[in-house]
Amino acid sequence: MYCGVDLGSRNVKIALMDSREELKFFKFDTITFYREHGRLEDGQLAVDLSALLPPSTRPRVVVSTGYGRQTVALKGARTIPEIKAHVLGAIHFTGLSDFTLLDLGGQDSKVALVRGGRLVDFQTNDKCAASTGRYLENMAAVLNITLDELSRYYENPVDLSSTCAIFGETELIGKVVEGHPISSLAAGVNYTIFKRIRPMLQRLYSEILVFTGGVARNTALRKILARELGVQVMVPENPQYTGAVGCCVEARLRSPD
Amino acid sequence: MKSRRVGITTTVPVEVIYAAGCIPVDLNNIFITGPNPGELVEEAELAGYPRNVCAWIKGIYSTVLRQGDIRTLVAVTQGDCSNTHALMETLELAGVEVIPFAYPFDRDRDLLTLQIEKLMDRFGVDWAAVNRARERLDRIRRKVWEIDRLTWQENLVGGWDNHLYQVNCSDFKGDPDAFEREVDEFLHRLKEAGPRREEIRLAYIGVPPIMDDLYDYLEERGARVVYNETQRQFTLPFATEDLVERYRLYSYPYGIFYRLEDITREVKKRNVQGVIHYAQSFCFRQIEDLIVRQKLNLPILTLEGDKPNRLDARTRMRLDSFIEMLR
Repeated sequence: MYCGVDLGSRNVKIALMDSREELKFFKFDTITFYREHGRLEDGQLAVDLSALLPPSTRPRVVVSTGYGRQTVALKGARTIPEIKAHVLGAIHFTGLSDFTLLDLGGQDSKVALVRGGRLVDFQTNDKCAASTGRYLENMAAVLNITLDELSRYYENPVDLSSTCAIFGETELIGKVVEGHPISSLAAGVNYTIFKRIRPMLQRLYSEILVFTGGVARNTALRKILARELGVQVMVPENPQYTGAVGCCVEARLRSPD
Repeated sequence: MKSRRVGITTTVPVEVIYAAGCIPVDLNNIFITGPNPGELVEEAELAGYPRNVCAWIKGIYSTVLRQGDIRTLVAVTQGDCSNTHALMETLELAGVEVIPFAYPFDRDRDLLTLQIEKLMDRFGVDWAAVNRARERLDRIRRKVWEIDRLTWQENLVGGWDNHLYQVNCSDFKGDPDAFEREVDEFLHRLKEAGPRREEIRLAYIGVPPIMDDLYDYLEERGARVVYNETQRQFTLPFATEDLVERYRLYSYPYGIFYRLEDITREVKKRNVQGVIHYAQSFCFRQIEDLIVRQKLNLPILTLEGDKPNRLDARTRMRLDSFIEMLR
């Protein structure tokens, strides 16, 4: 049994992979995970995984990744860079070796170019949350709709500036006042994300775009990406677990047998 | 009346300042090596400098105000950045004497000669004195070139030391004799050093980093900077004894295409596997990144730094991925 842990900014995602490559997924709120299940031992984060996972779980190798690994090292785990974890996970999920990976997570966005199964170039967002899950959550709250509802609309978008997740709210409220329908407002929000990541995607272009991270569940954004870039957009079944699965793949690769 | 200590905003022909018996002070170095550079940036912001302006400019501003004995400043008005203009004006407002120096955009020899001679007039020195100063400084420069050679060719020197000794050649720390002793001692210590084992060789291009833990962080992960572009330029690594020609060959103030000639040559010679392109937040050089990416045929990681600080989590994650990619 291999265990992959993705210490994300919003959620900690855990994937378990058995010898037949069967996967199981678990998700914890990041703050709760650190506060209730972690303690600091010799400058490392010790987490009793057996208390969190089903009783029969005996992970042989634990590999971790994610933002958290820069501030805390998970005790007993090997750590790998986030982009590597996502690329490995995307390859595992899709079986592809040439593609562009787009990962939109809670607070950051990454684009990676994969050729021959290897990471050859990557870009990340600048220090700003404007193209991430956090931005979508804020905007859905402003419109008083759910994330699912928000992710349905991509036609007739209102024009929103794509610069800031906070000022975006004010701008959106302005559009509400102008009387635009919810569908156009939501489509505008989804388009802002696209505008923000478009330069990275054009620089690292492939005909196939593998879209991962929590934001990949946004169906409107998938449609926008396919329509605007003329690419085939592939979203794995559990896109938010791509990093954790990549860690399992790494654990299996590095395991002695 | 010029003060004895003369501030400089970037590398200028320091031979002129030394020839006049004055002490050049590279304000960047004083700012960044001070006990609390972040506080200096904040001070400038309190004075009214916008938040979204280069932290180096803000740091220099507060440094001059705090170092009460720097009442003269040689400021590079062309060949660095336009923020320097407002820096000059705000310091002039504070009573500092500002001497402009312009590197001609097209590297025109006549214009550069004129600029250097105007600077000589301001300091009341002739060519004989300037050339004597050059000969003195060249003895130190040659030793620092050796440190650079030992970095890439003999693998004896880490990225930070390579950065530090070269960057200090902008003003020779205001005391060439003492700096030369430091260089000698360092070279002496290297005689006992064994070759370093980092497997990945990197180039660092762009202005020197505002964070001080980059080189160590890379080396802990098995990657070493064997070429610091701008820092090496500060040592004027050119064989000619013609002072004007030296500052004409010097690449930093002259546009990205001329800089790329030097970069392309050096990354090849030094067998570099990947390039870190550092650009300061809000700097026009961030635009030039797109040219660097088109012209350099090597993997490039673009780093951005704002406030003086340690590497942040996001930058560390990006460095990790870059190193992993090059492996």
